Amino acid sequence: MRLLLWWAGRALSSAVTLLGISVLIFAALRLMPGGFAETILGPFATPEQKAELAVRYGLDQSVFAQYGHWMAAVGTGDFGTSMISGQPVAAELWARLPVTAQLTLLAVAAAVLAGVPLGVLTALRARPGGGGVAGRLLSGLGVSVPEFALGSLVVFVVSRYGLQTSGYLLPAAVLSIFAISATARTTRDAVLNVLVEPHVTAAVARGETPWFIVRHHILRNAAGPVLTLTATITAYLLGGALIVEYLFNLPGIGSYVVQAVGRRDYAVVQAGVLLAATVFIVMNVLIDLLVGLVDPRLGRRA
Amino acid sequence: MRYRLAGSVAALALATSACGGGTAAAPPGTAATGSTAAPGFLAVADDKLPAGGALNVAVHIDSGAATGLDPQLADVATSWQLMSLVYETLVTVGPDFTPQPRLAESWENPTPTTYVFHLRKGVAFSNGREMTADDVVGSLKRLLAAKSVWRGQLGPVEKVAKVDAATVKVTLAKPYTPFLAALANVPAAILPMKEIEAKTLDPAKEMLGTGPFKVQAHRQDVSWNFARNEHYWDKGKPAADSLTVTIAPEEAARVAAVQNGSSALAALGNVDSAAMLAGAANVKVATQATTDFYYLMLNSKNPKFADPRVRQALNMALDRKQMAEVALGGQGKPTGVTPAGLPGACDPATLPSATGGGAAKAKELLAQAGVANLSFTLSIYSTEPAPAVAQVIQQNLQQAGVAVKIEQMDEASWSGKVYGKVPATFDAALSWFAGYADPGMVTTWWNPDVAGFNVGFMQADKDLNKLIAAATETPSGAERDKALAAVCAKVDTDAQMIPLVTRPATVAYRADAVSPSLYATEGYGNLLRLVADARVKKG
Repeated sequence: MRLLLWWAGRALSSAVTLLGISVLIFAALRLMPGGFAETILGPFATPEQKAELAVRYGLDQSVFAQYGHWMAAVGTGDFGTSMISGQPVAAELWARLPVTAQLTLLAVAAAVLAGVPLGVLTALRARPGGGGVAGRLLSGLGVSVPEFALGSLVVFVVSRYGLQTSGYLLPAAVLSIFAISATARTTRDAVLNVLVEPHVTAAVARGETPWFIVRHHILRNAAGPVLTLTATITAYLLGGALIVEYLFNLPGIGSYVVQAVGRRDYAVVQAGVLLAATVFIVMNVLIDLLVGLVDPRLGRRA
Repeated sequence: MRYRLAGSVAALALATSACGGGTAAAPPGTAATGSTAAPGFLAVADDKLPAGGALNVAVHIDSGAATGLDPQLADVATSWQLMSLVYETLVTVGPDFTPQPRLAESWENPTPTTYVFHLRKGVAFSNGREMTADDVVGSLKRLLAAKSVWRGQLGPVEKVAKVDAATVKVTLAKPYTPFLAALANVPAAILPMKEIEAKTLDPAKEMLGTGPFKVQAHRQDVSWNFARNEHYWDKGKPAADSLTVTIAPEEAARVAAVQNGSSALAALGNVDSAAMLAGAANVKVATQATTDFYYLMLNSKNPKFADPRVRQALNMALDRKQMAEVALGGQGKPTGVTPAGLPGACDPATLPSATGGGAAKAKELLAQAGVANLSFTLSIYSTEPAPAVAQVIQQNLQQAGVAVKIEQMDEASWSGKVYGKVPATFDAALSWFAGYADPGMVTTWWNPDVAGFNVGFMQADKDLNKLIAAATETPSGAERDKALAAVCAKVDTDAQMIPLVTRPATVAYRADAVSPSLYATEGYGNLLRLVADARVKKG
């Protein structure tokens, strides 16, 4: 019963959050300077042409009516039609999802496979009163170097030597620099916090092997923040790695939505933002469940 | 990602470069060292190379408009470029901007208001159906009835009639010298009217023309795949079997594509890209001169600029040479309203603003107008090199004691601010026009009653309108040059929309992958104009 209530609560709060986001993005788009008509039809368009376009896409109605129609359509899985391509937005998002998903998968895999061991290692090697300066500097650099700077450099240098930049490995590598650094830092901090717990001292006193202690006592207890971060990175990237998709010219969801913002292609932006928000919320729910499984104390708290 | 819808029909920012591996861009309109290009060309395809192969090019933006793929409604050069692969016009323009035969094999001009076109035999659409005089008549009539920007450029067409199966006659209400140049652009393309009238083809959704290529696949904002039109009348063309146009909005992606060879040719928008490509193996970079030009809009419906003396003072303080040198890397040219580079264009160095006395005289004029401490906001979009041009304007006007605040915004916001309200609420704005292929054509946009987009910030001037009309009616020659010079001078003193400098285009290509043909100067922003000639070099 408690579990059912928990699920109902999460579902309700997720629905309210999504509704709030839908209102925000809908209002924000219409409050942005620059009308769709001047952008899509160009400056030479006559008032009649602008009016025709508005009627065709229901933009002549009140904003409340427009919002109502949008929500009703979204409820049936219809995300509208792009004013630029005339194609259904859902189909285009679906076609671009594999690009974004592969990028995300590679970057997150790198973050977990490299970031977690690095974090554990640096925490275990940390000495009281200092040390690990180089590691902290590197991870700090990785977190703070902007994607556009790193990506531009990689694209230019790699292509200069005649190598292809069109696959997923390079863009995923650029994305993973931040993800690995953030994961390593979070893992290190979480492990350091666990290392001072009495149960770890007790395990050492019992003569358990270092690997057993790490696996059974440290990693499970340190997993909470690392899992939360991984989920956040995954959700963020699934929403579209805008800059990297642009730099590497990958037709993913991020570049689709960014171009649509520039053209005030309302249906595309609304659908893209709603999709990103949904992914974020679903990932958060999943991570709550996963954290509860890994660390039952946190699960009970949730 | 700047895609200038532009008040004008923007053109694509292209760049071309010729010559040896990774050379920096040559001055616009000239072939780089070592090029064997003929006069008027940056590069000429080597026809000794075997035909065939797949050609890949990269451009920065797709054709994307609410009007779809209908060429008659296309008002941006980026769309014209893509559509020109499929559609053709009765005439085209040569490297010197003279009209050349295309679907019309020849024409006569028996009276100043009559054009008789003799259609080329053996022309077929890519579905195999032969093009007829009915297609030509139907296409032109459809354009005349369409809500098309190009309708305003076509002139006073009174009647279009079929004379016989291979002859079409167009009658004008009065002489209109730019008529053939206007016919040479994509909106005047010949459409398959039989299919359109039978409603078996919607030209807004599907392209079907007589051109060298036919569409195989298109994914919006991602790529176009074209295949050879097997029915193409110009035998031996296109040289390539297929053409892929990749849409890469980010300049770095296009630079990378040409560096690593995934694209044989790429259009570039930033004047600095040539420097980035310097030293790249097998990459040639060239600058193509265009007739496109930047212009400064002073909102004369704003009290700050209602007095012509204030506008003239600002015009006088502008240093166009500095704009060309500093903001455009020496690749632009000062221009009057008749685009520099077109035959018959006026000399900007002789205009009142150029000979008026510069910043010192500007200060005097402002004082005469009773204006002290003038300051205003210049609205620009963020795509390079517009911000660099704006900075030169800011510095120039500072010399005349005028403070300029530059307001940089995305294109949609800029369009809303400049075109969205009548009367407009902005102070000043910067944009660029495509300059087209006849010096009289773009002057039409200085008549707000015809242009429409500038009614919110520009006062119509009857005298200027008369001069513009006279220049379009006068036959080419010394008299017309005089008439065009008069338009230039009037626009210069009117100073509501102030022409500044031409906008160069840059192209990079792999010398080991393609042998392209490129005009030295382009009027309709069409980097792919001669792509049917390009020879693919096979590994």
